[in-house]
Amino acid sequence: MLQKKICLLGAFAVGKTSLVSRFVKSIYSDQYLTTVGVKVDKKTVTLGDQEINLIVWDLAGEDEFQKVRMDYLRGAAGYLLVADGTRLATLETARILRQRVTESIGDIPFVLIVNKNDLSLEWEIDDPAIADCQSSGCVVVKASAKTGEGVEEAFKLLTEKILEQ
Amino acid sequence: MTESPLRIVPNRPTFPDPVADFEDDDILQLDESAERPSQNDAEAMAELRRLLLEPEHIQLGNILERLNNPRVRAREMSRPLPEAIRLRNAQDDALTDALAPTIVTAFHNSIKKDPRPVAEAISPLMGPAIRRAIAIALSSFVQTIDQALKHSLSWQGFKWRFEALKTGKSFAEVVMYHTLLYRSEQVFLIHKQTGLLLHHVATDPTITADPDIVSGMLTAMQVAIGNFARDSFGSSDEQIHTLDLGDREVWFESGAHAVLAVVIRGEAPETLRGDYFAPALEAIHVEQREAFETFSGDASAFEGTRPRLEECLQSQYQGRSEPADYKIPAYVWLLLAAIIIGLGAWGFFAWRDARRWNNYLNRLKSESGIVVAETGKESGQWFITGLRDPLAADPVAILKNETPINPASVVSRWEPYAALDGQFVLARARNLLEPPQSVDLKFADGVLSAAGLASHYWIDEARRLARALPGVSKFDDRNLIDEDLKEPEALRQQIEQQVIRFSRGGVQLAPGQGESLKALAADIQKLAMLVPAAGRAFRIELIGHTDTEGDDTANLNLSRQRADKILSLLSSKQLPANSLTAVGVGSMQPVRSETSETDKEFNRSVSFKVSLLDPRQTKSQMRP
Repeated sequence: MLQKKICLLGAFAVGKTSLVSRFVKSIYSDQYLTTVGVKVDKKTVTLGDQEINLIVWDLAGEDEFQKVRMDYLRGAAGYLLVADGTRLATLETARILRQRVTESIGDIPFVLIVNKNDLSLEWEIDDPAIADCQSSGCVVVKASAKTGEGVEEAFKLLTEKILEQ
Repeated sequence: MTESPLRIVPNRPTFPDPVADFEDDDILQLDESAERPSQNDAEAMAELRRLLLEPEHIQLGNILERLNNPRVRAREMSRPLPEAIRLRNAQDDALTDALAPTIVTAFHNSIKKDPRPVAEAISPLMGPAIRRAIAIALSSFVQTIDQALKHSLSWQGFKWRFEALKTGKSFAEVVMYHTLLYRSEQVFLIHKQTGLLLHHVATDPTITADPDIVSGMLTAMQVAIGNFARDSFGSSDEQIHTLDLGDREVWFESGAHAVLAVVIRGEAPETLRGDYFAPALEAIHVEQREAFETFSGDASAFEGTRPRLEECLQSQYQGRSEPADYKIPAYVWLLLAAIIIGLGAWGFFAWRDARRWNNYLNRLKSESGIVVAETGKESGQWFITGLRDPLAADPVAILKNETPINPASVVSRWEPYAALDGQFVLARARNLLEPPQSVDLKFADGVLSAAGLASHYWIDEARRLARALPGVSKFDDRNLIDEDLKEPEALRQQIEQQVIRFSRGGVQLAPGQGESLKALAADIQKLAMLVPAAGRAFRIELIGHTDTEGDDTANLNLSRQRADKILSLLSSKQLPANSLTAVGVGSMQPVRSETSETDKEFNRSVSFKVSLLDPRQTKSQMRP
């Protein structure tokens, strides 16, 4: 079976881990993120009649005190970039992260997930901002860790993009 | 192969053959001599064309030959084909994709047609791999048994057994924990660049943690610790060699494309790296060079690394040498031999017991009056249930006397029943009727026959009881002789031999006949006494006779008077008159044929006919 390494990136507390926890096979606790700074899970995606194992490296969130270490991304075939819809700043962090990834390992496929779609009324990231992202070549998926909406779709979209490479 | 639809046909050469042209020209010369100047021009033109174009014409002919002749075409094509395939394969996978179905079908067809060539081709690879796998599995199995056996009966063994009980672990696990020096439990072959798992082997197939995830996490840990080392100590060496996790260690061996991570339990010697891990990784790099270069996430290409990884599954126990030098100790062999002998002996005795039991069953089945319903073995004891006629042979006695089976090991339960075989009906009849020795009983086709001498009482009882016997539809007593009828019978004959004579022409007793009459009366009295004991009645017919002299009618009257006379004389002697009847037959039934005077004297007489009557017959005869 085909296996691909992907990374999960985003600003601190955008809900990356809770977003995917229901959708991946996990043998390690969330404590790994705070202690080691990374937690590896597995997600099987079916595209047509092909099954692909995504080995998901969930990286600790980035904030002003802690930067995501780019050496975790070595060998990744793609990444999921997560922003929090209720915090505009997280979109900027995502943009910076994307830039850093591109600088360190090149332009690899990614999908931007804007989380907390269940709180859409409190969103600071508005449609024009999302449209902006899309116009710069981003694939954007609105998702919710609470309802699970959009997560499967994001995994599938990323896998498709990886396989197109 | 079909011909190409685009077939190139050579144009007829426009420059004519000089000889042919010359002949044509001759004809034209005869018919159209007026056109000679222009004909010459054409000739000159043709010649010019031939001179100018002949080499091209020959080349064109050759090209056409190459294009139209499939053989030549194939030969031509075979020259650049290998290079063309190489170039195309370097460019993309289109040729491989196109050829794959054909090759798969050809491979299938080849195997279907004759699998031997393929088997022969792969057997040099498969044989050693299978042998190695079996050897490793067997060695590990024997070693575990050996350890468990060695410690199972020692003081330490008891201590460990208690520990196993206390901790809920298996005894083998506790023994292994205490005796194991080290054991490499899992080997991960990890792609260095991506951290993806290429292959994984483990001694314990029940390991549940997903090796794909563990592989990723091992790589992440390496990166994290490498970062930590660099940040803290400025170390430029990013490689971690060992992760110490208490009772386990993870040893890393890094190559250009892959990392070998070996999970080791216990204290392993550092020499394992140089002896096993590094050589295995190097060999994998050499053998899988191409697979590493083209790796894009599909680990199936690394299936072939299993034997190399299995070489890294090493272990050592206390007091044990390397697994490769391991020899099975003598006591294990002795124990195995004892087990085999024990099993053999048990098998033999089980077989012998079963054989004896079957013989016993066959013996019972051949016995009349015994029906075996259910047999078997339960809790080490044979059991048998069935039906048995009480007159049949005793199954328990057969078991005791005729078989070597211990009767205590058999539970028998026999329900009584009446068998209807001839011998049992006869035996039952004998038991019930108790015939005297003089009576012979026989049974055939539902008929019980009795023959011989018996008391009247017995005969009566037999008649009554025989009908109640199971299996008896009829009692045949025709050949039975009633013992109690013997004396009456003798008396009957004695009486019937008596003739009381009369004087000529009258009803006076002849001289001396008074005594005879007295004796006769005594006989009749005796008969009257004996007959009831034999269950019979009697009737005596007094038949009066005359000689042939005189008128028949008178003779008839006289004979009747004589009979009546005797009747009255006998009646006076208190004999039962109702048993006596008097008839006269005149001279019609003479006692003797009259040839002399003495005969006539005898015919002037009364003779006696005695009947011994069976009251039952008399009754049945009286019924309508």
